[in-house]
Amino acid sequence: MKILTCPINGTRPISEFIYGGEYRAMPDPQVVSDEAWADYVFNRNGAPGIKLEWWCHASSTTWFIVERDTARDRVVRSFLFDEIRYQGGAK
Amino acid sequence: MSLIRKSPLHDVAAALQPEWGAINDMPVALQFDHGDGQRMATLGIADLSGLWRHGLKGPGSIAWLEAQGIVIPAVNSWAELAEGGLIARLGRTEFMLEDEPNGTTARRVQSLLAVERPYGVYPVLHQDAALMLTGTAVQRLLRQTCSFNFMALDAATQPLVLTTMVGVAVTVLPVATADGVHSRIWCDGTYGEYLWHTLLDIAHELDGGAVGLNYLILEGKSQ
Repeated sequence: MKILTCPINGTRPISEFIYGGEYRAMPDPQVVSDEAWADYVFNRNGAPGIKLEWWCHASSTTWFIVERDTARDRVVRSFLFDEIRYQGGAK
Repeated sequence: MSLIRKSPLHDVAAALQPEWGAINDMPVALQFDHGDGQRMATLGIADLSGLWRHGLKGPGSIAWLEAQGIVIPAVNSWAELAEGGLIARLGRTEFMLEDEPNGTTARRVQSLLAVERPYGVYPVLHQDAALMLTGTAVQRLLRQTCSFNFMALDAATQPLVLTTMVGVAVTVLPVATADGVHSRIWCDGTYGEYLWHTLLDIAHELDGGAVGLNYLILEGKSQ
């Protein structure tokens, strides 16, 4: 059984979670160029590697971030979005 | 008596033709038959949807509850209310309060939130299907329906678990009583009938079944 750890509710089977897509820092829409904004909106990087992803624990609707190696399907860690927000965004 | 509320489990309970009573203007099954006591000791499933409950969430919810003199439990745990009932902490800033049949706290919170509209506090409607599982076979039922190991919990620490049960998102709250550990369960009311039927099928296999509230309420085991 695949498992994932919610920062609030603990370790649970993957069936309790919903994948929310890759987390990507949004550029400031007030100053960003049209090209950079279009790249943010339309383009995705599908190359495998260490990525930050949105996941939701469906039973509690807790959204959080998972750092995951998509090449090996290994979770590095999971944490709340606050950690990114207080650091000023992910690179 | 104007019974304007209706349990999400009303129709499935009515099919078993119980003796009816009322809690908070909601018809509730008081007794199904003379076997209620036996089933309650083995594996009883009772509908407690009639108890008054209300929720709130938001960054200001903790400070607002403290200002009302309500105890704040730790994340993923619950506490007893001074006037009877319980407060469950469903996340960092989300709470659900449920009154005992004669309690007033949840109802008072609902009234205050409707008038005050405090900053950073948002009311959450809870029209849940609320169940109680009793008896010695509760853990056997939980093992068949959940992927969470409830045996690892210490009910004395008043834990609360948000998980799935037969595919339904549920809040489960183990309660230590003199008769052993009972489990309170809440889920979205629209899943109530499915959950009731599924749990009842399993309960029948374990020599249990539906029980009315006569035993629970009269003996003060609703929490």
